[in-house]
Amino acid sequence: MGGPSATPTPPPSVSTATATAVHAICGLGLPLSNWIARYFYSHNLVSNPLGTIRLALAVQASLAILCYSFLRRDRNQCSLWKAIGRGAVGLVVGALVMAAGAIVLGAPVGIKYWAKTAYWSLLMSSFTVVPAASVFGSSWEDWKRLFADTKPSGIVDYMVCIPAHAAVIGAWIGAWPMPLDWERPWQEWPICVTYGAAAGYLIGLVVSAGFILFCGRREQHVKGD
Amino acid sequence: MPSSLSCAKLSTWIAAAALLQMIGLSLFVLGFFPVKPALSGVSGPDSYRVPKCDSAEDRDEMPMIPPDQLRSSYREMSGISPFYDRLILVVIDGLPAEFVLGKNNEPPTMAMMEAMPYTQALLSNGKATGFHAKAAPPTVTMPRLKAMVSGAIGGFLDVAFNFDTQAFLDDNLLGQFNSIGWKMVMLGDETWIKLFPGLFMRQDGVSSFFVKDTIQVDYNVSRHLEAELQSDDWNVLILHYLGLDHVGHIGGRNSILMLPKLKEMDDVVMRIHQSISSPHDTHHRRTLLVIASDHGMTESGNHGGSSYEETDSLAIFIGLESKLPEYAPATCKTVSQVDLAPTLALLLGVPIPKNNAGILIAEIFDFLSDGELLRALELNSWQLLRLLQAQLPGLLCSNRAYSYLEYERSLRDNACKVSSVEDKFGCLFSKATALHDCWRSHEGRDVRSNRESVEFKETLVAYYDFLTDASEWLSWRATDKPFEFLVPGIIALLVSCCLFLSILFRLCREASLRRKHQHLDSLNPKMELYLDETFVIVFIFILVISMGSSSMVEEEQYIWHFMTSTLYFIFLRKSIQLLLTAEAQKLRNGNKGPWYSKYYQFCSIVVVLVCGRVLRGWHQGGVNWVHLPDISTWLEKVGPHFIQLIKLGSMLFVVSFGIFGHCRSKSKGIFVLLIRGSFFVSGLLLLYLMKYQDHTIASSGPSSTLIAQIVFLILGVTVIVGALKFSWTVPLSNDASSAEPLSMIYCSIHQHICDPFLGLRCSAYSIGWIFMTCWCILQLLLQRPTNAMPISLLLLQILASMLYFSLHGHHREWVEVAALYFLGLAGHFGLGNSNSIATIDVAGAFTGISSHSTFLSGILMFIITYASPLLCLLSMIMYASVKDEGALLSGWDVDLGVLLQSLIAFPCVVPLSLNSVLLTTCTIILLLMRNHLFIWSVFSPKYLYACAATVCVYIGVSVVAATGIYVCSIYFFRRKISSNQYTAAKNPN
Repeated sequence: MGGPSATPTPPPSVSTATATAVHAICGLGLPLSNWIARYFYSHNLVSNPLGTIRLALAVQASLAILCYSFLRRDRNQCSLWKAIGRGAVGLVVGALVMAAGAIVLGAPVGIKYWAKTAYWSLLMSSFTVVPAASVFGSSWEDWKRLFADTKPSGIVDYMVCIPAHAAVIGAWIGAWPMPLDWERPWQEWPICVTYGAAAGYLIGLVVSAGFILFCGRREQHVKGD
Repeated sequence: MPSSLSCAKLSTWIAAAALLQMIGLSLFVLGFFPVKPALSGVSGPDSYRVPKCDSAEDRDEMPMIPPDQLRSSYREMSGISPFYDRLILVVIDGLPAEFVLGKNNEPPTMAMMEAMPYTQALLSNGKATGFHAKAAPPTVTMPRLKAMVSGAIGGFLDVAFNFDTQAFLDDNLLGQFNSIGWKMVMLGDETWIKLFPGLFMRQDGVSSFFVKDTIQVDYNVSRHLEAELQSDDWNVLILHYLGLDHVGHIGGRNSILMLPKLKEMDDVVMRIHQSISSPHDTHHRRTLLVIASDHGMTESGNHGGSSYEETDSLAIFIGLESKLPEYAPATCKTVSQVDLAPTLALLLGVPIPKNNAGILIAEIFDFLSDGELLRALELNSWQLLRLLQAQLPGLLCSNRAYSYLEYERSLRDNACKVSSVEDKFGCLFSKATALHDCWRSHEGRDVRSNRESVEFKETLVAYYDFLTDASEWLSWRATDKPFEFLVPGIIALLVSCCLFLSILFRLCREASLRRKHQHLDSLNPKMELYLDETFVIVFIFILVISMGSSSMVEEEQYIWHFMTSTLYFIFLRKSIQLLLTAEAQKLRNGNKGPWYSKYYQFCSIVVVLVCGRVLRGWHQGGVNWVHLPDISTWLEKVGPHFIQLIKLGSMLFVVSFGIFGHCRSKSKGIFVLLIRGSFFVSGLLLLYLMKYQDHTIASSGPSSTLIAQIVFLILGVTVIVGALKFSWTVPLSNDASSAEPLSMIYCSIHQHICDPFLGLRCSAYSIGWIFMTCWCILQLLLQRPTNAMPISLLLLQILASMLYFSLHGHHREWVEVAALYFLGLAGHFGLGNSNSIATIDVAGAFTGISSHSTFLSGILMFIITYASPLLCLLSMIMYASVKDEGALLSGWDVDLGVLLQSLIAFPCVVPLSLNSVLLTTCTIILLLMRNHLFIWSVFSPKYLYACAATVCVYIGVSVVAATGIYVCSIYFFRRKISSNQYTAAKNPN
């Protein structure tokens, strides 16, 4: 992997409006896919988890890769196509990490489940890893700052970091009902975890948008002074 | 810096908190699980004599009297002519009395009335008398049957320790019938057959497991009915119909199957009644028909708890020769289910069972003459008095037996207003007997028996006063919780929990102060630092909450695995942080620092996580998902060779850890060699034993027992000799070469080369190593063959965590100890344990025991069940040795107490505090849930496990503390000697 550039160029600033738009687009992806599943295929996450997750993945991954590739860090050296490629690689690598994490935390292993686990982890990856991969590429410093240290600074950092963490925490919380004896169909892997992750992601988007608006306003205020 | 919490003070506080916890726990257990002094033996002819102050007279062995003679002697002595010589007891499982008798003095619904026309007709024309028989919780079949036939109200432990139905040995009606030579026939629920094996002349048991079947279970009973009613060779016929209960379980009270089932039951009643009341009964036998239900059901058809719907069971007596009441009894009296026992005993002419707490049902005895009625009451009072004497030894001994005259005097203050329970019962009883005597003397003069006479009424009332008071008191003793025990117990537990937590808090604060003082705080002062700590606190919080939910308790293994893995994921994140930092440093300035140790850290956490996942998949524990595939069942399916192979691999791993875990030690070769040799020999012996485990039948052979005993011996000797001897053999000095033994784990960091306490660490490390190896070998011997792999995975997990912690120093010490403890509990479930008593491995508990000994196999059972938590607690010794807390102390001149505190304070306090939190929560929840449906099946087994876990923590912590104290004091002693020698060598010159 390429080392960090010796003197990083100052990151191009992203306006609050752009950020809000990206949030809105990404946030609309999940409802959109859910609507398509309901009206065109007439199934939902509980009745057909695989198909629904696949659809959500297709919508969400393409939206995330596209949106965040426009926000890529090093716009001078990196073309849009390269950023999209980075996002795609990130999707797969992130999915591997997510699948490993989920299995270690107790996701069932078996032939019956591998497709579900695969699609779920791709979807999780599109929530978490894809934005970072598209924006930052292979810059270790940025990855470390966001995911190891959790010290986001600036609008893009918030946009990448908060929804990703929120999605992971949401999925973690979503796993709680799984062992209970309520005998509900949605307790199956990975339905409630997907619900949790999606809810966490959406909340994360809202929080991140709020942060950006709040910070942006304060910055303007400071500038005004 | 003055230490605000000296070692002596600290240990005093810990001991005080532990003592308080023990006191609180025992108070609570005594209060919540009252040991009801059940009288052993059976009521014999002496039950027709007046009880005396000392119950010794009851003990005299009854000579063997032939049954016929016994029967006639009972008749003679009782003074009441027995009215029945045949009993038909029809038990309709789960029938609420509401279906037949209505509720709140309202008749049952029209549909119900129409479903049972015959029974309703019998009730309305007075041929039958019905009662609401209040059942005591737990409203499940087996304890209820026991209550009906013995009249005793079972205590908590009665249920908790009767996982499977065993023969019922207490005095009961069926035993009494048997002793007077009555023949019995049993048809229906096989619980009866398990309770009374060999007692029935003919029997046809049906299993109550197939709840889906509502037709066949009852057909299997009714098909014999015709023949049994025809034959006259029995005296007692018991029919237990399960179908109605099954209907309830399937569809609830309002199931569409319910009315047909009631109709079917009504037909049974009709057949029996018509048969027994048919005029051409040549034998002129009088047969009593009793229709009873063991418990009721909720709206949804379940039972077990203590709601009105569940406890409202039925008792109908048919065939009484009573003077018919002219009115149809619109109101049905509520009696207690245990009242059936004395009523039936008196009606059928046998002594009342010894532990009966019931009162005879007066309405049934209406047809008796006055004298006989009072005699019946007297017999019941004597029996209850004997039972009271067992619990109140002073009863009737205070020489205050009231004579009648005395009574007359005290008649002015009518009630027995005395303070103590003994006096109250004594007074009530004496009053009744005095009145009875008085009535008898009057009776002699006044021939006409007059129910309306004042004396009779007064006597009746006095007897009932005594009986109801005594019965209430006895049943209260058995079911109600004495809050004067429970409240202090819980308060003591809470106080000790707070004490433990405050000790822990102070230790943490002190540790951080010390770090700050020495400017050694490598921890990031930002919020980051607290992530792991916050998570541990959240972890405990979630555990505490989850214990209140029965399904979470059932599936506790998921919580432990999930939370422990998440904690290790947080560690993983930390190690990635460090890895990336190290990478950056390396790139920036070519730092030759031990950056590779960061890879070790990363890898060790990954190992812990992966092993944890395999452990989680090894046994599919719990209740709801047991059917899902897991590795152990897969192995058993694949065949014994795989299991053998895996066991061989894990044995190799454990033994090689034992042999090479200490490999680079140059210290005192011969001794270490000896210990390694003993590990090797035990490994070989285990290998030899595996041959026997091939064929499970042969495993109980004498030679395998002998070999197991030899392994026990070798391990025991190794542990004792190793622990005692090692502290003397390791070098004291801090030359670099002796750092080698620790190198396996942590000597890649240079700073420790000049550690002044290296000798101390060396000996602690070695002892920890011996303990862990011996424990694992012992487990390999005792555990099921499929559990060999989990044991080695657990060992691997602990070693990897140890490596991570020793290289790290970036987590607070208490977090690390807590992580180890959590690892132990997650592994506890990984070994196939659960919160149900059923998962205890009983078979392994007889390994190496030649003669049956409950005590020894109990110990082995404990060792097997708590293998994993104890392993983690034993590993704390090794943990203490690899932590560099000692390096924070300044040089050589350190007090023993301070050293000890820095070495073992956290490993002791953290498990104690965590366990204290869990135990206290469990206790409070058990108390809150005492009326919950699952109190018997879920919460109380969980509580037993929590108590056992407390014992396990005590054992582990005391081993750690004893080892720590021993090692430290030997170390100080040796250092003192060596410095004396040094000065002695120096001074002469």
